Amino acid sequence: MTPLPRVLLLSLGLLVVAADQAAAQGVLLDKSEIRFVSKQMGVKVEGRFRKWKANVVFLPAALATSKADFDIDLASIDLASSESEAEIRGPAWFDTARFSVAHFASTSIKDRGGDRYDIAGQLSLKGITRDCVVPIAVKNDAAGNRVAEGSFTVKRLDYKIGEGLWADTDTVANEVNVMVRMVLPPAK
Amino acid sequence: MARTQDGRASDSYGGIAITLHWLTLVLIVANWLLGLSMVDLPFSPRKLQWYIWHKWIGITVFLIASIRLGWRAVHPAPPPVAMPEWQRTAASVSHKLLYALLLLIPISGWLYSSATGVQVVYLGIVPLPNLLPKDKMLADLLLGVHVGGNLTLSAVVCLHAGAALWHHLVNRDETLARMLPFIKRKRAIE
Repeated sequence: MTPLPRVLLLSLGLLVVAADQAAAQGVLLDKSEIRFVSKQMGVKVEGRFRKWKANVVFLPAALATSKADFDIDLASIDLASSESEAEIRGPAWFDTARFSVAHFASTSIKDRGGDRYDIAGQLSLKGITRDCVVPIAVKNDAAGNRVAEGSFTVKRLDYKIGEGLWADTDTVANEVNVMVRMVLPPAK
Repeated sequence: MARTQDGRASDSYGGIAITLHWLTLVLIVANWLLGLSMVDLPFSPRKLQWYIWHKWIGITVFLIASIRLGWRAVHPAPPPVAMPEWQRTAASVSHKLLYALLLLIPISGWLYSSATGVQVVYLGIVPLPNLLPKDKMLADLLLGVHVGGNLTLSAVVCLHAGAALWHHLVNRDETLARMLPFIKRKRAIE
């Protein structure tokens, strides 16, 4: 074999791996979840989104080409009651008739060491786009899948979520803690 | 007047038992009214507030029922007045049922709240753990138990009150009077 420069070989290898994984990757939806906890009058209220799409390419060795994009169907929210779900789809909250999807697109992924990463990106909600950072920790489960878990805080008023009657943060806290758990198939 | 072997008067409930009994009635009636009204409110901060108060009152009922059972163990209820055996049995069964419901209904409400993913924070101070995972089917089931429990409770309370009034107005015995502080006092003065 004609000796190719090591670096080139490595890069080629990485590219092949990256292409492979980009094709094979994707989030195991049934094992993954996007949940959140808000606080209403001092009481924690849990919820989650039933429907969302993810386009995740996560290669610790090639973070520059890695990405995490999400489209969340806001109307698919799972809250305490069908009544509160109907309320939050309304114009004062998500206004899903006009803004049906929340979009997150990563802009850069930073390795913080110890299988921890900061995913910086932009979150678009109700026509407003803001920068946010999602810190995640990655580990392997028993099946060899890679499990990325992280949580971050969204200030709902930054996105005009809960206006008018609901703008008072004593009634519903401004901070909503979003918890993400993404299960990716094993890196091959 | 019925007396115990040591001669102590035992025909009446004590002040604590009487107070807790009537307090329970006030709280459950208030919580029925609150519960029935809050579900029909449009979704609003007021609605959330009423749900929270409903939960606080429910937990208070649970705590008072526990205290009453403990108190009753130390200060036994006076023996029933003379009545046919079947009535004594009916009274005993309905009293047990009342206590069971006063404990189970608040628990079903708490579990229902857990299953909907809403935490209960008693008096805004004491957070109770969410005992169940968020689960819509389970929540619907528990709501059914909660409502069914309350329908049963309201039926047994009516039976309980009806029987007490029957004793008082028809049989003209002491059954009701010994649970009424003011009548008892009047008789003592006589």
